[in-house]
Amino acid sequence: MNPQPWRLRLTWIDTVTGDRRSPIFDLPIALGRVFEAMPPTINSERVSRIPLKSSQVSRFHAVIASETDSSIVVTDTGSRNGTFVNGIKKNRCVLANGDMLQIGPYAIGISFTVNSTETPSVNSHIFFNPQTNGPDSAIKQPATSPPSPTVNTGEFPPIAFLHASEVTMRSIQSMGMPVEEIDWAAVGGGLGSFIWVDLLRICGVKADRIAVLGMENQPYARYRRLCLNSQIPLYERLRSNSDSCPDNIWGWPPYAVREAWQELLKGRLDVSLKLMWQVFAEPTFAETYTPRAENVFDSIDREVSRIGWNQMFRYGRVRGIRKTDDGRYAIAYSRSNAEHREHVFLIAKYVHLATGYPAIQFLPDLQAYRETTQDFKSVVNAYENHDEVYKQLEARGGSVLLRGRGIVASRVVQRLYEARQKNRDIQVLHLMRSPKPVGNKFNFAERSVENHYEFQPFNWPKACWGGELRVVLENASPEFIPQLLTDWGGTTTANRSDWRRMVKEGLSQGWYRITFGEVERVERDSRNRTVTYIREKKLKGQIQLEADFIIDATGLDAKVKTSPLLNDLVIQYNLAVNGLGRLSVKQDFEVPAMRNSSVSNGDGRMYAAGAITLGGHYAPVDSFLGLQYACLRSVESLAKAKVKSVRKLTVVRSLIQWLKWIFNKSPG
Amino acid sequence: MTPTLFGRWQTRILLFATVGILVTLPFFLGLISSKSGSIFLWTLGYVAIFGIGWDILYIYIQHFRWDRDWPGAFQLLAGIWEAVFVLFLIKIIGLPGIPEQNFELGAFALHYSFVWLAIYLASQTIMRILFPYWRFRGGQWL
Repeated sequence: MNPQPWRLRLTWIDTVTGDRRSPIFDLPIALGRVFEAMPPTINSERVSRIPLKSSQVSRFHAVIASETDSSIVVTDTGSRNGTFVNGIKKNRCVLANGDMLQIGPYAIGISFTVNSTETPSVNSHIFFNPQTNGPDSAIKQPATSPPSPTVNTGEFPPIAFLHASEVTMRSIQSMGMPVEEIDWAAVGGGLGSFIWVDLLRICGVKADRIAVLGMENQPYARYRRLCLNSQIPLYERLRSNSDSCPDNIWGWPPYAVREAWQELLKGRLDVSLKLMWQVFAEPTFAETYTPRAENVFDSIDREVSRIGWNQMFRYGRVRGIRKTDDGRYAIAYSRSNAEHREHVFLIAKYVHLATGYPAIQFLPDLQAYRETTQDFKSVVNAYENHDEVYKQLEARGGSVLLRGRGIVASRVVQRLYEARQKNRDIQVLHLMRSPKPVGNKFNFAERSVENHYEFQPFNWPKACWGGELRVVLENASPEFIPQLLTDWGGTTTANRSDWRRMVKEGLSQGWYRITFGEVERVERDSRNRTVTYIREKKLKGQIQLEADFIIDATGLDAKVKTSPLLNDLVIQYNLAVNGLGRLSVKQDFEVPAMRNSSVSNGDGRMYAAGAITLGGHYAPVDSFLGLQYACLRSVESLAKAKVKSVRKLTVVRSLIQWLKWIFNKSPG
Repeated sequence: MTPTLFGRWQTRILLFATVGILVTLPFFLGLISSKSGSIFLWTLGYVAIFGIGWDILYIYIQHFRWDRDWPGAFQLLAGIWEAVFVLFLIKIIGLPGIPEQNFELGAFALHYSFVWLAIYLASQTIMRILFPYWRFRGGQWL
């Protein structure tokens, strides 16, 4: 009789995307960086080999196997950085249910319970409400899904449109809906579209040849809403560089200079000089300068008028995009509202996709809590509007359990600190999956950590935007990209002296505590408080954490599958998806399989930018400067291909356009 | 600033050849200090040439920084260091084109400071306006 092989469930978080992986493996399990470096069999048993991409993980790092006495043991197989069990470096250690294994930057939870009755471990989502453009937990499926091609409900777009990879102009005209023709279409209507259109205008494209499709005509509407929800009031500073100016492709004058000038005009010379010193001495001799949110939004408003954005913007929800038979693209969009239905086709030669995050990540155990209790007040996601939580805490006091440790968690801690100034009776428990005693390492450098907060001025190392690291990633082979992104990415927060002071104060005064553990489930007790059950490692028991509120500060999700529009495109045209589940694009951000060549009309092209492209050859895609880089690359390749009406951004054109920016004159 | 090695070289050569010469002209013509003549152009040339070598050292230092960046304050320190080095060579070993008796420390300091400041300001402003891709390519304008 053959004994059943032992099986383990390993849980870890992909540090780049925040995705939770929770697969089950048969023992023995080998962990390492390179698949081929791990043995396929040990003692004639087949090995489950798990590749973990990071330069801190050795090629063959460790093995988990069952011993003759039925215990499960992890053995370090000569790794450079060591294997840690529950924070202690071990060469060999017996594993218990709930132990946390640390290999490089990966914190892997061990579970012996492999029944499928456990709560689903993949991330659940909060989608955006198409009417309000804000996160809405009542929405189960995004409303903009193209209807399934097998069900003919007379919906829009028509089945003939959805089924075809290429639609003829004749069939579109015959569908009976308004058809508009334009040269350039930008889908999204947010900051990505804004930066793209801004650059097109600077490079000579006329405003009447561009159409932008989006939900709100202010390009920063959703971004601003998410900022306010995640506790960044307008006077607070964004995590962005002084010369990352979405309204100004040159980065001059940078926000620090503009702010210093404003301060000078107000007669505050000392503040003005301090700002100038900051950008000179940052980050080593002074704290990194970051612009105020309201200044950034105001500057975007000015540029919005300058380039004629409002005449280009059209309200609409894009339902589907298909290639046409004459080298263009047909975009089916809906302008319907409560009063009337209206569906339109927009035909464009060049399409730009910058649809951003389709959804917010929500921890599955919290999602399960909400579904069982229908309680949407006690358990919230930091990106939802949750001002009520702070109001209640300020009025009545209480306790908060905070999950996640990135920049949003820091903002929430700051807000809670401010709430405490009104009501001292507020306790904060910060639940992290695992300790982070040291930061990531790459070559000779290491990130700094304090109190398990890992610091980095921006969401990627600075050289990822335009320095050496950008070149490294650009030249990396596709197999090597995930490793680089893991090494450089991860959950970090800004090294702000005020935040660090708040954390230290909280820890020493006792109202802020940090605890570690893997959550099993969240329930409501008889007093209507939330109870979080976490696996405790040393005592092999269970710990219960009670709190009045739980705030999930874990992040946003931009996988292609989550966006119905992108998912439809990927399926219809067999588009390549990269290692992080997002659109694979060329170095100039073109979506290769969407090129629509026609003999008579030249090539139609589709470009993508922003969060939907993360995972390829450019890391900081989801940032102001990163969006500008993507758009610069795309425009450069269009100009090189001698696309009509796009001029190359030469020295002369750049200077003239910059002067027009200075004098607030239309680009042309 | 997050320069690459080629970016540093290209920017240095361009700015020394344009802004550097422009700022040196008044010194060359004797408009600023009592000294005049080609000694200033020779100094400019030497700082540029040695700088090509120092840039390699700076890139090496950048490798120890997580962000692989080069703060503005470091550029000032580098400026001071390069001045000291050239001064050392002029005084101790002697450089062709800079005769010992013609050399005056005050004029050198004034000239060097003006050139450094002008080049630093140009790299923060004019380079960005004329070459919008420059800052995304680690300083490469070509």
